[in-house]
Amino acid sequence: MKNKGLLGMMLLLIIIVLATFVSEKQETRKKEQDRETKTVGILQYVSHPALDEIYRGIQDGLAEKGFESEKNLKIEFQNGQADQSKLNMMSQYLLNKKADILVGIATPAAQALANNTTNTPIVLGAITDPQAAHLVADNQKPGGNITGVSDQSPVDAQLDLAKKIMPTLKKVGVLYSSAEDNSEAQASRVVAEGRKRGLLVKKYPVPSSNQISQMVQVMSSEVDLIYLPTDNTIANAMQIVVDIATKNNIPIMPSVDTMVAQGGLATVGINQYELGVQTGKMTADILRNDSQPATTPIYTFTKGDVVINKEQAKKLGIKIPDDLLKSASKTK
Amino acid sequence: MLISTIGQGLIWGILGLGIFMTYRLLNFPDMTVEGSYPLGGAVCVMGITQGMSPVVATLLGVGIGMLAGLTTGLLYTKGNIPIILAGILVMSASNSVILFVMKSPSLSLLKQKKIHDLFQNLNLPDYFDTVLIGVISVSLIIILLLFFLKTQLGQAYIATGDNEQMARSFGINTDKMKIIGLTLSNGMVALSGALLAQNDGYASVDKGIGIIVIGLASIIIGEVIFGELQLSERLLAIVVGSILYQLLILLVIKLGFNTNYLKLISAVVLASCLMLPTLKINLNHKVMKRSEER
Repeated sequence: MKNKGLLGMMLLLIIIVLATFVSEKQETRKKEQDRETKTVGILQYVSHPALDEIYRGIQDGLAEKGFESEKNLKIEFQNGQADQSKLNMMSQYLLNKKADILVGIATPAAQALANNTTNTPIVLGAITDPQAAHLVADNQKPGGNITGVSDQSPVDAQLDLAKKIMPTLKKVGVLYSSAEDNSEAQASRVVAEGRKRGLLVKKYPVPSSNQISQMVQVMSSEVDLIYLPTDNTIANAMQIVVDIATKNNIPIMPSVDTMVAQGGLATVGINQYELGVQTGKMTADILRNDSQPATTPIYTFTKGDVVINKEQAKKLGIKIPDDLLKSASKTK
Repeated sequence: MLISTIGQGLIWGILGLGIFMTYRLLNFPDMTVEGSYPLGGAVCVMGITQGMSPVVATLLGVGIGMLAGLTTGLLYTKGNIPIILAGILVMSASNSVILFVMKSPSLSLLKQKKIHDLFQNLNLPDYFDTVLIGVISVSLIIILLLFFLKTQLGQAYIATGDNEQMARSFGINTDKMKIIGLTLSNGMVALSGALLAQNDGYASVDKGIGIIVIGLASIIIGEVIFGELQLSERLLAIVVGSILYQLLILLVIKLGFNTNYLKLISAVVLASCLMLPTLKINLNHKVMKRSEER
């Protein structure tokens, strides 16, 4: 080989590999002593209001249980910004920072974490069905190093609410991204629950955010109500959905409260912030050794808050019954 | 962590080598790779979850990637569709094929067999299995490539990239060369997709987004740092370039930069690499001028 630079660089890389090999072979893995300060590694898949709220909630949930930043808690935070080629490296970075526990926000982040460790406990934030995503063996008895909070939304209560607001409701369209596990599962549940209530539910999957505006146009001429599952792609493009649907006088029922504030009509939603708080509390319990991931069932919220967007109702000319308005926990 | 990054760099190096086959040797950019990469991963992971051996599943992934490349090649040469467009068409079609194969947007390999299990008995420290897989597959690919490029077919292939008109005047079927190039290239890309999907523990429909940048980065970093090289050294330089690029990303994460700006930072680094030769020449000119003035 004539090129000295290339040869040198390859030798350097080989030496690094060999040196680490030797040192790691000799090193008897020392058990980490119980440190005063605990490190929580958080990996978030992408930024949008719903997931950001969860992150905020996690910090407050930890604080509620006595873990506060700069006192006895260090948070290492990584955000993949939807670039999956980096998630693996970011997971390893968190593990390398000697995180005592890991939190994955949204499914791809959780999968990346789960692939990197079977020892460090992992708490899932905002994964609809961890069992279906093969993250845990069983939602009731996870069995491994993973447990967490499900963001399964109360589809039945949501459809009941829709019928209460729109008594003549017949056709519902579900708009979701075909690139997300969560949404597909939830869309199928809407179809099943809708059938029980005599509604015609049709699924409208989109391959990426670029097809959303045409799809909403099509839906606007075919359905009475657009239902949005907890879907990262749609959440990111919420404004365009709202714009087109409102122009065509079609109300939107999202499954997340933050999306009602962005222009949805109403929902029975799990408060994303509460979801984060619950995740934070669960994390704290495991940190304190009060519970073990293997025996902690996946936490599922049984009831949600009724959230109504009065402005949007006015725009669409929909009259919300007074008793509903009274019972709603949040209105805008 | 250094080790795991080097291991991943090696496997990304296969992607770089694949892109080199078309981008440098044939002088055209092939967008198919953003489709064949996740396609290889998806087919491989699906195969494994269906009970296939990881090696067979990986090869199946390679096969499907070659098929994608072949399609682009046929669209380009026989259908007279411009190469960028042909690649983009196949890339976006792959999205649907992946959803059809996996029946869901992402598929996990948790508690399934992986190609890494082949080295279980060696009792290696963490992540050394990835390095081993990388070294073995990269060496295999480079040896096969060198062998191929030395044959008469390979020489005709290189000639097509150098000067298509002249090659045709020598009686070389240049269309055939382009089809071969696209097929081989996408097979290699799918291989890196399949290996990285096993390394990451899951396949996903949108994993291909932006990978063409990673492949080009490997090629460019290798070229800029090591300058003029023989063919065999050039192939090695791509792999080293790929490792360096991954180490660079690791460094950016480690330095605690806001990772929201990761893509901007890597773009800046790549752009500087691309400008480095020009800067060097300018600098030399100045130095020469000054010595002349004295």
